[in-house]
Amino acid sequence: MNRRSALKTMFGQQNSAPAAAEAAPRPVNVGLEPFSGSWTKEQAAHLLRRTMYGPNFQQINQAADAGLEATLDLLFADTGLPDPPVNYFFEDDPNVPVGETWVDAVYINGVNLTGYRNQSLYVWFTDQVIKEQVSIREKMLLFWHNHFVVSDIGDPKFLYVYLSTLRQYSLGNFREFVKAITVDPAMLRYLNGNQNTKNAPNENYARELLELFTIGKGPLAGPGDYTNYTEGDILEIAKVLTGWIDRAYFTIDPAFSVESKYLNGRHDQTVKTLSERFNNASIAPNGEDEYKDLIDIIFDQDEVSRFICRKLYRYFVYYLIDEDIETNVIEPMAQILRDNDYEIEPALRALLSSEHFYHELNKGVMIRNPLDFLAGATKSLGLNITDEFYPRFRMLRLYWFILEPLQMLPFFLPSVAGWPAYYQEPSYHRIWINSVTLPIRQQVTDAIAFTGFVQEGVLNDIDPLGLIGGLSNPYDPNVLIQDLALVLFPNGVTDNQVAFLKEILIYGLPDFEWTTEYAEHIANPDDVALMNSVSQKVRGLLRAMMNLSEFYLS
Amino acid sequence: MSLKMKRRKFIKSTAASLLGLPLALNGMNLSPIRKSALLDALNPDSDRVLVLVQLIGGNDGLNMLVPLDYYDTLANVRPNVILPENSLESIGFDLAFHPVMTGARSLFDNAKMGIVQGVAYPDQNRSHFRSTDIWTSASPADQDWTTGWLGRKLDMEHSTYPVDYPNSENPDPLAIAMGTSVSLTCQGEVGNYSMTLTDPFNLGQLAAGGDDFIPEGLYGDQLEFVRLTIEQTNAYSERIVDIANQGTNTVDYPETNLAQQLKTIALMLSGGSQTRIFVAKIGGFDTHASQVVEGDTSVGSHAELLLELSDAIQAFQSDIEGLGLSERVLGLTFSEFGRRIRSNDSFGTDHGTAAPLMIFGDCVNAGVFGDNAEILPDVGTGDGVAMQFDFRDIYGTILQDWFELEESTVKELIHEDYIHLPILQDCSDDPVNTSTVLDLDMDLSLFPNPARDYVYAEFRSEDERVALTVFDAEGRLMEQVMDRSLTAGSHRIRIDISTYPPGNYFVRIVTKGLRQKAKVFVKV
Repeated sequence: MNRRSALKTMFGQQNSAPAAAEAAPRPVNVGLEPFSGSWTKEQAAHLLRRTMYGPNFQQINQAADAGLEATLDLLFADTGLPDPPVNYFFEDDPNVPVGETWVDAVYINGVNLTGYRNQSLYVWFTDQVIKEQVSIREKMLLFWHNHFVVSDIGDPKFLYVYLSTLRQYSLGNFREFVKAITVDPAMLRYLNGNQNTKNAPNENYARELLELFTIGKGPLAGPGDYTNYTEGDILEIAKVLTGWIDRAYFTIDPAFSVESKYLNGRHDQTVKTLSERFNNASIAPNGEDEYKDLIDIIFDQDEVSRFICRKLYRYFVYYLIDEDIETNVIEPMAQILRDNDYEIEPALRALLSSEHFYHELNKGVMIRNPLDFLAGATKSLGLNITDEFYPRFRMLRLYWFILEPLQMLPFFLPSVAGWPAYYQEPSYHRIWINSVTLPIRQQVTDAIAFTGFVQEGVLNDIDPLGLIGGLSNPYDPNVLIQDLALVLFPNGVTDNQVAFLKEILIYGLPDFEWTTEYAEHIANPDDVALMNSVSQKVRGLLRAMMNLSEFYLS
Repeated sequence: MSLKMKRRKFIKSTAASLLGLPLALNGMNLSPIRKSALLDALNPDSDRVLVLVQLIGGNDGLNMLVPLDYYDTLANVRPNVILPENSLESIGFDLAFHPVMTGARSLFDNAKMGIVQGVAYPDQNRSHFRSTDIWTSASPADQDWTTGWLGRKLDMEHSTYPVDYPNSENPDPLAIAMGTSVSLTCQGEVGNYSMTLTDPFNLGQLAAGGDDFIPEGLYGDQLEFVRLTIEQTNAYSERIVDIANQGTNTVDYPETNLAQQLKTIALMLSGGSQTRIFVAKIGGFDTHASQVVEGDTSVGSHAELLLELSDAIQAFQSDIEGLGLSERVLGLTFSEFGRRIRSNDSFGTDHGTAAPLMIFGDCVNAGVFGDNAEILPDVGTGDGVAMQFDFRDIYGTILQDWFELEESTVKELIHEDYIHLPILQDCSDDPVNTSTVLDLDMDLSLFPNPARDYVYAEFRSEDERVALTVFDAEGRLMEQVMDRSLTAGSHRIRIDISTYPPGNYFVRIVTKGLRQKAKVFVKV
């Protein structure tokens, strides 16, 4: 080995994962062919963990009984758009009484309506995650929010429209999705599309459209040439996209509602010519439909299908894509996407029903993102969030606040590339775990297990006895722990860990003592002291389980 | 407008003397205890500290340090963002700080700051993410390196990390990234060396227990990572709380985010922290729109950022001087790129190329390195400020002079053509601003100019290796014309430009220690 290559190996100066990950084997020659192994509750748990927030014991068992196809049907079922966010508490908005929605209501000079509306939107976003049953929709929403990033948009009415676009297309046609998001009012603001005019082209959106949204940057092939596109393409595409503005940002005029609008006078009327990377395609002036012509041309490049499939793979399976996975998973998945005219659902469904997805080497290798961690702990343990109107708002707002120090606050992404955990080599999702976030994660799980959260005088808490009452055999501490491990850990627990956890549950007593105590409680449900005693022991067990590093993985 | 070139005299580095036996570790040459002659005057027990200040988003260097000799041209090509001429006060060198930067100005006037002009890298990448990766990894523009420049240094010195860290010799984090995310500059082969820190007084202990054997494979790797991070966080946290409680600050800091980060760094140092690398960050420099307020270009988002930056580093420098630590601490700003020379119609500026970089502390060779950015009346809309210095040479010099690595090691860590720059000096030397730090006099001339089909580059050299490269006005590398040893004397090299589109190009020659650039216009 010469010095340069020795250094390269030593420094990882190639497109490689860190040494540790490199040493660990990835599935080889296991691709997109349909999963043919036996469908167990472990497989069902893996699927649900990756596609929804915090599956519980019942949902896992139902999925195991129903089979893979039926579970996928349920995950992909159209759940429709949720009811819009409402005014939870603000009494000085003459147009929006408490309990009514504000998404079409104007602003008023001299009254701060942004504060309550923003809080409402954030809580509404969190509430959909918490309320969701077996469905992939909320994780898809987060995927697209991380893909088509908008950030720091002040007017929540814009964010509502943006979120509605993401929900509408989240499992639909990717090409039509890109068209919709290109002229989305929030996106026009965020990437300066609304300032892009024939006399002063602003290339911000054009660059991200190629680099981050559709085709991705290939290796540098020459000056300004990124293999998949060139700097010249960015300039031409910026011209195609001229003329669009957003309207009604913070408007006080009831005649206007949030929308995007095409202004012919601001549009560049010349013929635009792309590089040979797009077969020198020329785009004739076509007014307000011209951007659609452009996007059709971009989508003629097969690389678009590979680019988005890689991103879906990183989100649902694992971040490292080696040559084998490129050949056996990404390429056939991209083929399905193209065969289906860029409909997302068939390709994603193929991934989630493949041999590859259920391969043992893909289980437990993801570090849970903060929302998955928080909502997962909440839902897997069945934390009961009150239905009382204002206290529920306060509880969900607390969850929203927790997401910030956990470093994943939706609508406030660090950059247009999304959260670094989904793209930053070599650490990827390890970025979530650090000395700032770890203590907060533990505080959260400790609170969920032990104290619950009191907001507005209402306790939001788990029901430890109800939780274990729903398990297969709560009388046997070994089975109890194994059942909980199925819910909380991606790859179960070791015998030593079961012993450690039993220490916490029954303080080193023989197993039958738990059986006896628990049977006593069932026989005497009105004995409050006994109930509390058993309940506290379960809480201690849950806390210890969530403090294990295994709980941080999916 | 005068186009005079400043003639600069090169002061040979005294750091070249190599003492001590190299120690082979990981196949690298390493002499951790060597003291270079340059820095012998330092307290030998002191540990030198580097504080990086990352300006996230791409800083508009032309609005931070305005080249007064090109003010009129600049006013023509960026009329809606240019600062009023009467607000600009020269600091010498035909340069003026943005008027809000009185703090940086005072550091400069007291000879505690070096300004390096035109810092970038060959073949500028204008993606935030790629360019940040390049600046943090110190990779060439066309290569993806997954480790950070400081991470590689730490990899070399701490080959078993993170196993058995912290330990008695390394009780503190090897690097601290202020805020909530680790720094890519500190990314090592196996892990990231930087511990994130927000509030040093509020660090509890994480519950642990129940860990069993780590299974083979990727799942086991991830599990081990989480467990190790928990253990390390606990071990480091205990120390950090102790140190913070022993530490003190001697000045009042502004209430800004950056100032508070630097305040914590000074506090940790005064409390005895052995961490030697700190990273502070300030975001918001991606000023595509509304970088100034319409109608008053002296206010706006960029002015606010520069004020925060300038006041923060002034307070920090003053604090560490008050603490008696200033000979141990060196500060360096960086940003992923500068911005375009022409402004856009949104009262902002788009992604550009080179920008000035500030290096501050008692031990800097104070003054200005390099020439003012050259602003041409016909500057293209895509053009950025031309590169004069490769940022990797600044990193390399810090590794060599400040952290005392061998030059050969620096070449392996940074790049093999690394050139030492005289940006640091003996801390006990009288601080004086100097303009005579670089001799650009290789008598480089280009002719014919304007040119078509070919141009000759004529220059003098010693008996040495000379690299000659051509860039376009956007900083893109057109070609490396030559890179070979020449004999002492005058040389004339023919450059074929027949395939170049019309426009301005820069020819750059680099030898060991010297560099010069010249411009040629290629006509149709």
